Formats: sequence, structure tokens, C-alpha cells
Amino acid sequence: MNTAQIVQRDNVAAASSDEALIRLEADFAEDGRYGLRTMEVTTTCVRILEPGSAQSCVVPISQIKTARNEPLVGGGRLEIMTHTGDFIPLVSYSLSVAAKFSEAARGIEQLSKGEPLSINLKHERVRCEKCGRLLPDKDGVCPACVNRGKTMLRISRFLWPYRYRAIMLAVLSLAATALNLAPPFIQGSLIDSVLQQHRHIEKLWLLMGAWLLVLVASSGVQICTGRLIAFLAGNIAADLRSAVYRAIEFLQLTYFDKKQVGAIASRVTSDTDRVWGFLVDGLPYLLLNGILMLGIVSFLFSTNWELALAILAPIPIVTGISAWYWRPMSQMFHKVGQKWARFHTHLNESLQGIRVVKAFAKEDLEFGKFQQRNAELRDAGVNVDTRWYTLFGAMTLFTSMGTVINWTVGGLMVYRGALTLGEFWRINSLLMLLYGPLQWFAQVNQWFSRAMAGADRIFELMDMEPERYGDSGVHKKIEGEVEFEAVRFGYDKSNPVLKGLSFTVTPGEMIGLVGKSGAGKSTTINMLCRFYEPDAGAIRIDGVDYRDIALQDLRSQIGIVLQEPFLFNGTIADNIAYGKPGATFEEVIAASRAANAHSFVLSKPDGYDTMVGERGAKLSGGERQRVSIARAILHNPRILILDEATSSVDIETEKQIQEAIGRLICGRTTFAIAHRLSTLRNASRLIVLEKGEIAEMGTHAELMEKQGTFYNLVQAQSAINEIIGVGAAG
Amino acid sequence: MTESKLETKNLRLFYEPKDRLRLTVEGDKSYLAVRPAWAAPLSHPNRFLSLLNSKGEEIAMVEEPSALDEHSLAAVTTELERRYLTSTIRSIVEARSDFGATYWRVQTKRGERDFVTQSLQENAQWLGERHLLLIDVDGNRFEIPDIGELDASSQKFIESAL
Repeated sequence: MNTAQIVQRDNVAAASSDEALIRLEADFAEDGRYGLRTMEVTTTCVRILEPGSAQSCVVPISQIKTARNEPLVGGGRLEIMTHTGDFIPLVSYSLSVAAKFSEAARGIEQLSKGEPLSINLKHERVRCEKCGRLLPDKDGVCPACVNRGKTMLRISRFLWPYRYRAIMLAVLSLAATALNLAPPFIQGSLIDSVLQQHRHIEKLWLLMGAWLLVLVASSGVQICTGRLIAFLAGNIAADLRSAVYRAIEFLQLTYFDKKQVGAIASRVTSDTDRVWGFLVDGLPYLLLNGILMLGIVSFLFSTNWELALAILAPIPIVTGISAWYWRPMSQMFHKVGQKWARFHTHLNESLQGIRVVKAFAKEDLEFGKFQQRNAELRDAGVNVDTRWYTLFGAMTLFTSMGTVINWTVGGLMVYRGALTLGEFWRINSLLMLLYGPLQWFAQVNQWFSRAMAGADRIFELMDMEPERYGDSGVHKKIEGEVEFEAVRFGYDKSNPVLKGLSFTVTPGEMIGLVGKSGAGKSTTINMLCRFYEPDAGAIRIDGVDYRDIALQDLRSQIGIVLQEPFLFNGTIADNIAYGKPGATFEEVIAASRAANAHSFVLSKPDGYDTMVGERGAKLSGGERQRVSIARAILHNPRILILDEATSSVDIETEKQIQEAIGRLICGRTTFAIAHRLSTLRNASRLIVLEKGEIAEMGTHAELMEKQGTFYNLVQAQSAINEIIGVGAAG
Repeated sequence: MTESKLETKNLRLFYEPKDRLRLTVEGDKSYLAVRPAWAAPLSHPNRFLSLLNSKGEEIAMVEEPSALDEHSLAAVTTELERRYLTSTIRSIVEARSDFGATYWRVQTKRGERDFVTQSLQENAQWLGERHLLLIDVDGNRFEIPDIGELDASSQKFIESAL
């Protein structure tokens, strides 16, 4: 993929006519193969350079009428239309660079109109500077090159509040290790000085007493470490989850557009699990077993190096096997996990849609799909388990080999008197302690990597630029004047949705936003709430650029009533009071009355204490809508947004909701989107949007008289209603 | 809507003016700046070609583009090549999975290309038993019509990556 470069000047006129103001690299050659072509824009021309700097196409700026990015499948094409009506498809590119060319097209248009160049083309890193790999996210971190030490240090900060307990855990674990080593030594002395010699019976009691003490102490230590681990694991996990959730809450909405909710949720759950799991379970285990193994190995060598060498011989094989097979095995386990996910998805889907399944009599079809997924799951499970047990068997063989070697070589040594029976027994017991963690050690690197990857994903979230919530902006009581000045915006930067919107709304006005779907109505609303910020242009509220107003202040003075209102699981009273925490019950009732919700609430057995269920599922659409209006009334915003607030209810309910809305909008600047154009008759003005631009603006009567776009929309709608009417009658 | 039933043999496609595809329906009328679009490029490749006018409304649906006359077919094929910047993978040079991202180096009919995919559960779509579509982090699409036709090492890469 190609890097893009921009040479931007504050003063275009100062640039010599041949100097490139914009330079972009496209990734398709003229013949449609992958290749490199460079587009350069100077003050006088747009030119395409082939590899080797051969110039293949030059278009003088003075001849250009329009320049645009034509979205193609898997990429785009920059198209130029000249004043003489010639059409020039200039250059094609993949989606990786399409956004840049779209921006450049805008720049070319600006230059052709004699305007100053004002586009936003920043240089993005697409490859890691260190290893040259492609970056999964442009300008993001390279997962292969993240500094593990740094990440580790950052993770360990989560330990800091619990440092004393963590130190205690380390000390206790050391003690546990030491105590684990004691029994083999006691057994060794017992064999050598009591059993072999058939005397010193008093030493038997002494040693058994010591052993008993070790057992008691070891159990005590085990209980304490267990309790400490439970405490640390619980707390650190909770801290991590809170930190991640808090970071997610303040992320910009553009992040949520790109990611699925499930994927974000898994960062809060599984990624944090990996990190604390490693921190609390992995790290101590790793350290202690490391010390233990080192201790045992050096003891074995100090006792009898020949025997040590012989019994440790199978170790490289065991580690080898587990290192070699770990990756394919873990991939297979991962596959089983994926099959489970597929199985679950289908199961949930078919149960949730059981009415549709029954209505279409598709039980057999669904069973067929179920069978298929079930079989996939079975095969993946059988496959991984058979391999696992084979591998496990082989590992056991080699670990047991150590014991056999020990008995053979060690037995010979004892027989020859080169080793006492006690020493032999000691070695034998320690051997057991050694082989246990050994199989696990080969996986440490993988475990560590996974934890670090999880941590990186968490930190990536935390490091992302958050919304400037609670920033140092102006604290302001909003009057309600809203001004859009040449606002441009696109969710996908190569395809702008709003193309230079300008209008001014005075306080208290009700504005109806009208247009076909995709015209930019909802986007206009999203811009106003500052869910997204304009790519170009400005939005001012009471004459102040809204980016200078503290975000929290701005949002707390904007109220939204949506087509599908979202209620949280709780009581009706809780939901109404959501707009104004700490509201008195009287205020809740007053708001509910104004929203025409009071009587339906009273008809419920629990009145305002009725639980609305998840997402408000226990209320009807009209009821949810009125609760959300009551919530907005209590919130008492200066600017109100009604997004298709009445479109999904019956006529009678709509009347009630209209009435409620009438009370709600009184004295507030209101933006209303409505599908039924007749409902906007009361609006002070209508703004008719077409393909991201304002087609018309005026009162309902004016626009009807003008017989323009709005008039046509109204005509089309009444025609459709007639058709529907005829269809229904027939 | 009756227009969608235009007979294929009456359709003439050619470039006029340069780089603009034009459709003339014999004995009827001519459309400027026509855009061809596959109705189902993945499940019904090379069939069901829709011809759209400049507003994106369908003029005609050609079920069997091969039935177009030679010149029309050549013109529309050129236009389709310009409009579908997708790639068909011929072989996989390398595929490495690390930390949730998979790094690919592939040979396509357009030449060699490097790309990264993330969360393969969503971005590696099986369109059939052996028909695979990979979507990289930028949204670029790479199709493998039949895994079985790739060489052994390419198949092995897919096996281990997915």
C-alpha cells in the first residue's frame, strides 16, 4: 500500500506554478494491475506521473469544471469534467487510498474556482517503521513491535494500589516453594539414618514431627496465598474492567461505527481476563517455578552430576514436543471455539425467529442448518481431542522415562554403593516436582504473548483520542441560535454526506428537516449533537463555534426524542428522571402529564414503579415514545431534536404524542425530522435537503406555492398514500 | 419497469464520447453514461448484468452477457474491469497470523499485493464450500473462487490461518 504525501502551503500564490501542492500515489497502473502512479496538483495543472516520472496526462486547472471521486467496487476513480464537456477518468485507486483522492478532488475544485486550497490531507503511516509490516490500523501500533517491557510496566501499575499484598503474596509463595522441597529431604534422612540403620528410633519421631509441622505450615501458607490471590484477582480484574469501560465511554462515535458491539465488549471481558489472569496467576507461577526448577537442578547436580545428567536427558524432548505442538494445538482449540460461536449464533437466531420459522414451516430447513453446524462442532471437537490425547500420551511416556532412567541408573549406583538409598529417594521425589511445571513452561511464551496482546488492545483503547468531554471549553447557557456555515462531512471520508450546508436558526424556531433517505437529515442532527465534527466549515451556537463550548454543557442542553426510543432497564420513574438526576417525584409526574403519559402509567398495576424491561420491551411503542418525551421535557433542553418521533405509532397515539410534542417544543429551538410531511405543517421553516445540499428553505406554505422539490415530495407522498389506499381496498 | 425486459440482442454498448459507456436500444433510444453492475457477482459470476443510467436506475438486465454482440461485449467488459477493482487470488505467497492480525502476501491476477486482515471470523467469508472472500482492514476485497485450485502451499496457508 502506498504512502501519500501532501505539500500544503498557507499561501498558494507564493508557490511556483510548477511546484506540487498535492502529491498522491495511486495503487493501480493504467492497465488495471497493481502499480504506482503519482498524481500531482500544481497551481496550474493536474498531472499523472507513471513510474520513472514519465508524464502521462496533464489537465490545466483553468479547464477543469468539476473533479470528483467516483466510488467503484473495491476502490475509486478520480473523474474530471472540463468546461468543454470532456470527461476524463484520471486515475484509479484502491479503498486504501480512496479517501485521500476524494479530498484531493475537492482541492482541485477549489483551485479551479480560484479559491485557496483548504483540504485536510495528513500523512498516515501504513507500515511499521521498525519491522516494515503493514499496520492493522493506519497510524496505529504495530502489534509485532510493541515494547513488551513498556507494556509490562504499564500493566504492573494496576498492581500498585495492592503492592503490600502483592509483596506478601510473593513472600508466601517463596515460603510455599521451600516447604514443598522439605518432604523429600525429610524422607531422605528418614531412609538413611533410621530405616537403613535400624536404630535411632527417636529420630523417626523427630522427623515425623517435622514433616507434620511442614504439612501444617504448608497448608496454612496455601490457604493464605489462595485468599490473597482471590483478593488480588478480583480487585485487579475489576479495576481493569472499569478502566477499559471508562475509556470506551468517552471514545468518539466514529469508533463505534467501525467496530461491532460484540468486539468492543470482548475487550472489556476477555482481554482484561487475559491480562489479570497473567498478572495474578501466571506471573507468580512463572517466577516461583523458575526458582524451584533452578534450585532442583542445581541440587541434583551437586548430589551426583552423572545421575543428574542421565535423568534430565528426556527434558529437551519433553520441552521440544510441547513447544513444537503448542501452536497447531492452540489453533485447533481456537477453531473449536469458533465453531461453538457459529453454533450459538445459529441457535440464538433460530430460537429468536421461531415465529418466522413456524410461519414459513421451515423447521426442516432450520434443522438441516443446525445439523450442519452441530456436525462441524463434533468434527472439530473429535479432531482436537484425538490429537490432544495422542500428544498427551507421548508426553507422559517421556516424562515417565525420566523415572525409569532414575531407577535404572540410580538403582545401579545404590547397588554399587555410589549413592545412599536416602539420596536416591530424595532425587526421585524432586524429579516429580521438576517434570510437573516443565510441560507448562514451553507454553509460557505463548501465554505471555497473548496477555501482552490483550494488554496492547486495552491500552490502545485507553490511548485513543477521547471526546473532549469535560474539557476546558466555555461554560455557557445556550439561548438557542444555531448556525451552520459551509458544513462538510462524510462518515467515509471519500464520500461526503453533507456538502457545504449553510443556514441560521433563531432561538425558539422549529425547523423541519425534509428529504429523501440518504439526503443527510440524520447526519445534520448528528453534527448538531457533536457526535461527529465537521470535516470543513463550522457550526456556531449563539455565535460561538460549538467546538469551543464545553461538550458536557452543550450536550446537556440538547434533548433528543428518537423514532425508536431507547429506555434502560428500570422503572418508568427512573427512565423519566434519567434526563434530570435528582428530580423530585412531583417533577416526574408533571413531565409525564405534559407528555400525555400519566394516564397510561396509572393503568399499570405498579404505576411509576413498573419495570420497563430490557430496552423498554415491556411497554408498547407509543408508551415508550411518551416516556421518552417526558424524559426530554424533564431534561429541559434549549435545543430539541425530534427524529421521526411519531412514525411508528397508530393515529390515535400519534395525536396524543403530537400534543405532547406541542408542549415540549414550546420556547425551544427544535429540529424535527418527519417522514409524514404533513406533520411538519407547524414548523416555522422547512429545510429541504437533497444529496447533502440545501435544495429549498422556507415555510410550508411558501414551499408549496413554489412548487419545487418539497412540493414534488408532498405530491409523491400523497400519491403513494392513494395507491396504498386503493391496494388496501382491493 | 417494462424496460428491464429489453431483449439482449437489441442492446448496443459502445464508448461515445471517449471513456463514457453508451447504450443504444435498437429502434428505441440511447442512454449516456451507462454503468454496468453485477447483480450477484459472487454467487452468480458472469451472469445477471444490470445496466444502470446515470441516476442509478436500471435500464436493462442482461441475464447472459455472453449473448451480447461482440463489440458490445468488449466495451462492457472493459467498463467492468474499470469498475470492479477487486482481485482474484491465484496463490498465497505468505500468510502469517500474529496477535489477532493476519498478514498476507498474495499473487493476484493484478499482480502481487500485501494486505492485513483482522477478526477473520467476519472478514473471511465462506461463500461456498471452497469459495472464499477476504476483506482487508481498508475494505479491499480478495476473492478465491475455488480453494481446491490453489497450489498445495497456498492451501496450507489458508488452512493454518483460518
